[in-house]
Formats: sequence, C-alpha cells, structure tokens
Amino acid sequence: MTETVRTPPYPTESAPDGKNRHRIGREFGTLPGGHPPYPTVLKPYGQSLVELAKQREEIVCFTGDLTRQCEIDLFQDAFPERFIHAGMAEANMMGMAASLARDGFIPFVHTFGVFATRRPLDQIINAIAFPNLKVRILGFMPGVSSPGGPSHQAIDDVALMRAIPNLTVLDVADAVEVRQVAAAIVDVDGPVYVRLKRGEIPVIFGDDHVLRLDRANVLTPEGGDVALFASGMMLASALAATRALEDAGVSVSLVNVPVIKPLDTATVLEVAAQAKALVTAENHVITGGLGSAVAEAVAEAGLGRPLRRVGLRDTFAEGSRTGPYLFTKYGLSTQSVIDAAWNALGRGGKPPTAASAQADDGEYAPV
Amino acid sequence: MPVDEAASAARPPPTRLAADGQQPRRDAIDCLQPLTRQNPGRENGGMSVTTHVSDPGTHFKVEDPARFATLIRLRAVRMVAPLGFGYLGQALSSAEQVAALFATLTPGEDRLVCSPGHYVIGFFAAAAELGLLAEEDIKTYGQDGSPIEAIGTERSPVLDYVCGSLGQGLSAAVGFALSDRMKGKTRRTFALISDGELEEGQVWEAAMFAGHHRLNRLTVLLDANNSQVDGPVDEITTLEPIKGKWEAFGWAAHEVDGHDVAAIAEVLERTANAEQPHVLINRTSTVHGLRCLPADADGHFIKLPPALAAAAEAELTAELERLA
Repeated sequence: MTETVRTPPYPTESAPDGKNRHRIGREFGTLPGGHPPYPTVLKPYGQSLVELAKQREEIVCFTGDLTRQCEIDLFQDAFPERFIHAGMAEANMMGMAASLARDGFIPFVHTFGVFATRRPLDQIINAIAFPNLKVRILGFMPGVSSPGGPSHQAIDDVALMRAIPNLTVLDVADAVEVRQVAAAIVDVDGPVYVRLKRGEIPVIFGDDHVLRLDRANVLTPEGGDVALFASGMMLASALAATRALEDAGVSVSLVNVPVIKPLDTATVLEVAAQAKALVTAENHVITGGLGSAVAEAVAEAGLGRPLRRVGLRDTFAEGSRTGPYLFTKYGLSTQSVIDAAWNALGRGGKPPTAASAQADDGEYAPV
Repeated sequence: MPVDEAASAARPPPTRLAADGQQPRRDAIDCLQPLTRQNPGRENGGMSVTTHVSDPGTHFKVEDPARFATLIRLRAVRMVAPLGFGYLGQALSSAEQVAALFATLTPGEDRLVCSPGHYVIGFFAAAAELGLLAEEDIKTYGQDGSPIEAIGTERSPVLDYVCGSLGQGLSAAVGFALSDRMKGKTRRTFALISDGELEEGQVWEAAMFAGHHRLNRLTVLLDANNSQVDGPVDEITTLEPIKGKWEAFGWAAHEVDGHDVAAIAEVLERTANAEQPHVLINRTSTVHGLRCLPADADGHFIKLPPALAAAAEAELTAELERLA
C-alpha cells in the first residue's frame, strides 16, 4: 500500500507484526441479538454527557438554539455554569469554542448536523482543525431522517468534515454506541465530528458491545460472497438485508463502521479481500462519505471488486413529512441494500424481498 | 478641525452604485434574462398552478386587510390540523404583516422574500385565499411527496426566495434590490425576517451593504415576536436596542404594533418613495388572535390535536362573522 496514513490521534492496539489488524470474528463474531422492530431509548447521549461531565470538569457544553433537540437540556440542568447559549450564531459558536479549547476546556458543541457543518465550515477549518483543537462537534438529525426539507437534512456532513485535515468523523449506529461516544471521543487529540440520530434511538447491539475508534466491527464473519459495510442509521437496514441475503443463499460479511475517518483500513481490506463483491450503505450522499472511503481504500490496495454504494445519488431529498418516505424514495431502504448486493454479484433473477417489520410507538424498524 | 474629520474630508467619497434615476448601462444588461421558474406540472410532482406574486400578469386585490389576517389564521389552522402540529405560531405572529404586504405590494411586479422558511405557512395561506394556490395543492402542505414543504425550499411557490436555513434571506432581498437598481427598475422588494435571525452575523453583513448603497426600494418587515426554539429571544441574546442597531447601519427604522394591520400598511405606503432602506420592527406574539391555545403553547412548534383544531376553527369562523 502506498497510501500515507495519519497516525490515529488515540491509542491503538498493534499486532506483534506491527500492523494494526485483528482476526475477523474473534471479538465481534456474533450478530447482534434480536430482529426489528428494535426497542428504543430516549436521550442516551444527553445522559452520557452528564455522566462524563461529572468526572471531567473541563467539559463545557455549547448549544446553538437547539437545546432540547440535542438532548443537552440534561446538561443545562446539571451544570448550568458550564452551559453556554450561543444562540443561532454557528460561526461565532465555533470560534468561541476554539478559544476555550486553547485554554484547556473541552467544548462539546451541539446543533443540527446541517448547521454544525455547512454554516461554520470556514471557522471549523481555520479556528479548530488547523490548530488541531479538542473541540467536539455533535451534529443531530443525520441524512434524510428529518422532515425539515433540504435545508435541515445533513446529507453531506460526513463528506465536508472528512475532507478537513485533523478531523475524526463518526457516524454511530445505535443507543449502545451512542451511550459510549462522548467518553470515547473526549480525549481524542484533535477535533471530532459525530453525527447522531435525534429522538428515539434503537437498541441494536448487546450491552457487551464496545465502541472503539480504531476498529470497524465485523458482525457476520463467514461471508464469502458479499462484504457489506454500513454506518449509522443504515446498520439496521444492513442487518435486515444480511438476513434476507443469507436466506437466499448469499453469504455476507457485515461490517459496522462507526468511524469514517480515520477508516479502519486494515479491517476493510481484510474483509473485502475475502468477498466477491462489496456494498456500502450510508444515510448520506454516496460522494465523500463511507462509500468513498471504502472505495479509496480498496482501490489503493489494488483489490479489484465490484462495488455498489447505497445512499443519496447526487440529489437533494424533497417532499418530506416522514423519514421512512424519504428512505424509500431515495433508495436507502433494506430492499435497496439487497438489490445492490444482488446486482454487484451479477446474480440473475429476482433478488430476495426484504421482510417488512412494523414498529409500534417506542420501537424502531428500518425501512 | 478634529483629526478624524480632517482625515474623512481628505478621503474620496464612498463608492456607491448609481442611485435610482441615474442611468445604468442598459445596453450591457438588457440581455440578461431572469431565471425561468419551471413548474413540472402536477403529474410530475409539481403543482397544478405555480404563481409567484411577482410573476408578470399576476392580479389580486385585498379589500379588507384586517379580515384578511383572520382568513390567513383560519387557513393556517386548516393547513396544520391534518399534521397535528406545525408552524402555526409563525402564521399567528405574522398574519397582519402578510396581510398588509399583500394589500400594499404591486402584484406582478414587486418581489417578496421570506427569510425564515418556517414562515411560508402564512404566505401560502394568503395565496390560497387569493386563489394563487390551488386548493388541491394547498391540501398537500407538509405531506410526503408534496412540493409545498412545511419549511420553505427553493421550490416553494408564491415567494421569490425562501431560506430554510435561517439568516440568509436579507442577503437575497438585498441582491434583488441591487439587481433592480442595476437594471434601472423601480419596483420594490419586501423581505420578512425574524428577530431570532438577528443572532446570525450574515443579517448584519446584508444590512451594512444595503445601508451603504442606500437601497431605497428595499423594505424589511422584522417579526419581533421574542420567540426562538430555546425560549424567549431576550433570554438567549440581548437584541435591544433593535431600532438603534438598524439606524446605525444606515436604515430608517420604525417601531410598529405588529398586530395592527392598518399601522403596518400605513408605514409600507409611506416608505414607498424612500431615500434609504426601511425596516419595520413589528412587535408581535406567536399566540396572537387564537384565544383557545393553551397558555404554555410552544410558539415555534404548536401542537394542534383534533379537539383544539376544532376549537380554533370555531373561534376564527366566529371572528370572521364578527368582522363581516
């Protein structure tokens, strides 16, 4: 590999040969329990930030006029003296957070993903990323999960943040990961961007699941046909697609990729090398996010594999009251993942049909 | 002479664009055609009628602005009721401002900008009452697959520009006014902006530009309802003195009771031949004109369950009969 990889800004475990690799399936060899619909929890991030802030007095919390929506009303109640209303002024919020970080605070900055990345892009680049400051940017309402129209849908936040030097970029999948994310990123030596689903958060992983910044998780290690890489809200769809494909005789290696940058290239390549075809699934445009990151890693390694990227295809997402409508309209459904795998393998005939799962109030099922 | 006055006397006068009345280079700009707004048609996901207030040939007349404001409120209730919640507070807050605008502006000519996209409900309600939006289209407001999204978008009808991302609309309005001046046109541009948006720096960048260039065909209606997502604006950021800030940026600023439609219309008429940009600071409330709302209603996003929707419908219908 000729790629120059930046040293991750956090400790990693190295194998005796010095390469950052692990054996597939040894640590994450079991498929998460249960089938959709998944139970959900409320405010797992907000609660975990309060717990972390009890231990870490240097944490300060910024809100851009979206306090309850970003679950940090809990922080405001617990630590009002460390809670800062920046108002609807994202550029100024990022600039102030940068200086607090220079003075030793660890700012956690909260707003919707669109406003966290598009509006203050230059401030993030110059005030935060270039000096490599410990500012944690939390962007809620990822991709097309929002009914707010194109102005409120963060469909390009991963691409924007991934392009910026020094930034670490996460798209976590479920409540078990969400609960761990604040503690996982607090000591990263540099800026971090995390996109988080708003509202009811599904519980997909078991309690023993550990969010690690240096590892993608191989959830079904046996697949020789398709390697399926998913991040964030698309994990639930990818799990359902994996089951449908396995029932149809297609073996799938499903990989959860919570850290888009720096990508766990070793795991991606190890899994990709053993598969005939590759599929990525992200709640984001297919340019610049997970699909691009996987494609770049595989191409630079010289691995020739058909690749299909599930995500928004060079389009804004219009006409929305509900997230599920948009997930279907723009090809982010379980069926889209199944079809992509089927197509990448060059299988003839009709692909298997995704099992439908109805979610009651308080439950979550992928589209 | 004090030092800084001497310095300013020595400086050349500030560069400004030609004021209205001076001839711009017509030959160079007459060839510029405005963007044609395409309506894909209802069968292709568009609307059966797409009318922008500024489209040539558009005609309407608002006979009774006070009654029109109540019609806007009733229509907004009917738009939000099927969804069960929505941006009703924005319609209640802006009803008189929208009514005064539609009563004042010259249809088929003057341009309309709505900066906070959540406020499109009031403009859509007014347009539906005037027949500018078809009933079959307005029924789809905020629904899956509708081109009439609840937070305004590039595709929104009626208005010349809407931003869903707050704080950007004044720049668009300044751009329209600037374009008109460069083309030698004397039509007016009206922009509705909100007080919460004043927290965004871009608003003041636009205000500074408009003040410097004395864009006198630009009039801003500032909905000062003291409401933002996290609570009362004055608890988040002190905006006052709002009037003094705009005046310092070169604007003529007017304090107005934002629920007095006649007062708003009077200022809009009076500023038609202004020498500088004008801003109306309209003091309003997000629950005005609907007594049945609970006292703790969240003005940014009002819940309207069926029973409350029925009560609102009855209250506003009775109000219309009283005004008839």
